[in-house]
Amino acid sequence: MKWMKVFLAAMAVPAMLFASGTAFANEGGVALKPVEVDPADQAQIRRGLTVFTEVCMGCHSAKYVTYKGLIDYPEIAITREQADELRGDKPLAAGMITDLSPEDATVSYGKVPPDLSLITSARRGGAKYVYSILTGFEHDPHGKVPDGNFNEYFPGHRIAMPDPLGWLDHDKSDEAELLQQAQDVSAFLTFISDPHQNERRHIGMFVMGFLLLLTLVLYLLKREVWKDVKH
Amino acid sequence: MSEQVDQSKRNMLFGAAGLLGGVAALAAAVPFVGSMLPAADTLAASKTEFDVGTVESGQLVVIQWQGKPVFVVNRTKELLAQIDGHDEMLKDPESREIEAVSAAWMTDENRKYRAIKPEYLVVVASCTHLGCIPMYKATKGRKDWGDSVPEDWPGGWHCPCHGSLYDISARVINDSPAPHNLHLMPYKYTGETSVVIG
Amino acid sequence: MLNSIMKTKLFAWVDQRTGADAIIKSQLTEYAVPKNLNYMWNFGSLALLVLVLQILTGIFLAMYYKPSAAFTSGGYTVAFDSVERIMRDVNFGWLIRYMHAVGASAFFFVVYMHIGRGLYYGSYKGPRELLWIIGVVILLIMQGAAFFGYLLPWGQMSFWGATVITNLFGALPVIGEYLQQVLRGGFAVGDPTLNRFFSLHYLFPLLLAAIVGGHVHALHVVHSNNPEGIDVHNAEEKINFHPYYTVKDAFGVGVFLLFYCYIVFFNPQMGGFFIEVDNYVPANNLQTPPHIAPVWYLTPWYTILRSFPDKLLGVVAMGASLGILFLLPFLDRSKVRSSRYRPIFRQMVVLFFVTVIILGYCGHSAPTPTLKLVGQIATAYYFAFFILLLFLPKFEKTKPLPDHI
Repeated sequence: MKWMKVFLAAMAVPAMLFASGTAFANEGGVALKPVEVDPADQAQIRRGLTVFTEVCMGCHSAKYVTYKGLIDYPEIAITREQADELRGDKPLAAGMITDLSPEDATVSYGKVPPDLSLITSARRGGAKYVYSILTGFEHDPHGKVPDGNFNEYFPGHRIAMPDPLGWLDHDKSDEAELLQQAQDVSAFLTFISDPHQNERRHIGMFVMGFLLLLTLVLYLLKREVWKDVKH
Repeated sequence: MSEQVDQSKRNMLFGAAGLLGGVAALAAAVPFVGSMLPAADTLAASKTEFDVGTVESGQLVVIQWQGKPVFVVNRTKELLAQIDGHDEMLKDPESREIEAVSAAWMTDENRKYRAIKPEYLVVVASCTHLGCIPMYKATKGRKDWGDSVPEDWPGGWHCPCHGSLYDISARVINDSPAPHNLHLMPYKYTGETSVVIG
Repeated sequence: MLNSIMKTKLFAWVDQRTGADAIIKSQLTEYAVPKNLNYMWNFGSLALLVLVLQILTGIFLAMYYKPSAAFTSGGYTVAFDSVERIMRDVNFGWLIRYMHAVGASAFFFVVYMHIGRGLYYGSYKGPRELLWIIGVVILLIMQGAAFFGYLLPWGQMSFWGATVITNLFGALPVIGEYLQQVLRGGFAVGDPTLNRFFSLHYLFPLLLAAIVGGHVHALHVVHSNNPEGIDVHNAEEKINFHPYYTVKDAFGVGVFLLFYCYIVFFNPQMGGFFIEVDNYVPANNLQTPPHIAPVWYLTPWYTILRSFPDKLLGVVAMGASLGILFLLPFLDRSKVRSSRYRPIFRQMVVLFFVTVIILGYCGHSAPTPTLKLVGQIATAYYFAFFILLLFLPKFEKTKPLPDHI
């Protein structure tokens, strides 16, 4: 039927644009490293939390994630004791804020490290971007950018963040562990950027199932009522 | 119009569609109404820590718990003495009428004090009539308060909105519009004078 | 069910005082609609549904949203924090906010389909000129509401989008500077801008609701066009709106909700098309993101703006591209409505749809010389389409119209 074609064509437009949009996703030019993260994998997210608190939080905050949240989100669900250990004398309802003050950061690094609560939503490529940056410290092939500031995946390649995992010139024997850390923290950051995402998908399954049934009944009803109309 | 319409099938489909549509509307109402309940961070802020030792003797301090005012009174010996001897003036001298004015730690001896440690009274500061904050009029009689309080005033609180009266254990006095004693909230001592409310 | 309600005593009591019986009959149960409407006619009721959804979700979001650009910590602001609080702490806040954000895109999608249907089947022609014109007013208010709403999260895209658009108004001679300051409440987009945009974002949907009422009323005076584009006089060719089109619209709602809920629950950012990546970065008035573009539904007009080397000319062209829609019923003088019987018009109008999509694509992408040229050609056709309509009846040989549908 003609209307069907028109409708499908109209539906195809956003799909096409969407496909072309993803092709443009990496405007830096270098393709990001692929990485598998599962925002529902508790073990991975917890390992990522450890990397985050021990490495990233030296300079970065995640102000929208509270210590109480670490207990309450079923995807993390650490114990009260673990949360107490992490928070020190900060209140349970406080966000995860680094001890590095913005003033000190500006003196040391020339800029304030961005808050990481939303980092995977706020960068094209999401988890892949984080993973690629963490494992992207190399020697500058042109020898211009000093070691530790050259990152293959950072736009412009000159990054203010010092190699956090010690990727540059790492031993081959450590590689698997470093990749694991980068992957775990990418998973953690993916989770905290939208902490209700698993719940959302879970509810979504029921909603879609229900709507399929509703639409089917409405279709049958429409067909039944329209039997009256002669064409 | 066709005459061979299967009316029962049609009615069934109308019924099914109406039923499912009703379910959908109800389900859709859940997140909207749910969103108006206190948010997670509001709930997280539902406990208040306070050091009652900072209240001077005989004085009253108003603190906040869950956005509501709370009285903390440091009752001197004289004030504690004012608790006895006027039970006939009170609507609910033993604080038994409703759950909110009673607490699990109340024993027969400390019932009249309405406090875990008699010298420190901690009560919700909202008048049980319509929620105003009563004024602290601790001393006995009319000497300090004029005729804003009755002649046989045992000392306590006077609500400015509609004249409810409470004694120094925050028990409501007869003929007040307020129905109940000031409410208690759950609290516990975590140290000599440090209290966690909520 | 409606029948049994209308037989109750309570209904009779209400009817005596409101004339409800006559209203229901004239607007629903005895409102005559051509029997041959296809599924393209479903988008009107869908637009109404999305409007209601947007108003409803918006009201609940406004219970938690705070329009303030005051800084908190980490470069974030009160407004940004309040949105994140909705996303993280408010019960089902994530759902309501995603419904609202996806709903904005859904609203434009549905309305663009509705307008496209009107164009294709000639629904703008007499006696429905005013119906069409009210519709264009609705489109403009929608675009305004969307523009105001997009500032509210106070992210980078919000801020720079508002900066660019308010600068557009600055290009107008004489009044431009004042208009700009009236919009911004300052010399740059800032806290006063955010506050007034919030106020206007709440006002515009109320205007929309009122004007949509007028749109529906105008429709019910002149009645629906149909795919054949001919006037329907024979009673046998018409059916009552209720129950025939109510159940058909309900089925359409079911299909729509499947798409809508799929996006809301499984892909709410739509890869940056519905909520842009840069809008997760808090607004920073000292740094423009490397590539800024409006949300997809405004990009066709953005391309028209960019296609002119002169700023004022670009602004005027963009205004004209929307304004010319008002004139459409008077530019197209052909007696035949539907594309089905207008072979040349049909090709022109399909090319017009493709052109708008191309314009949208160009506006979304970073400008390159090739895309700029493509955009300029598309812009040229966009206007040529309307101009050609003036002369089309002189050389178009329309097909013979059927007597009935």
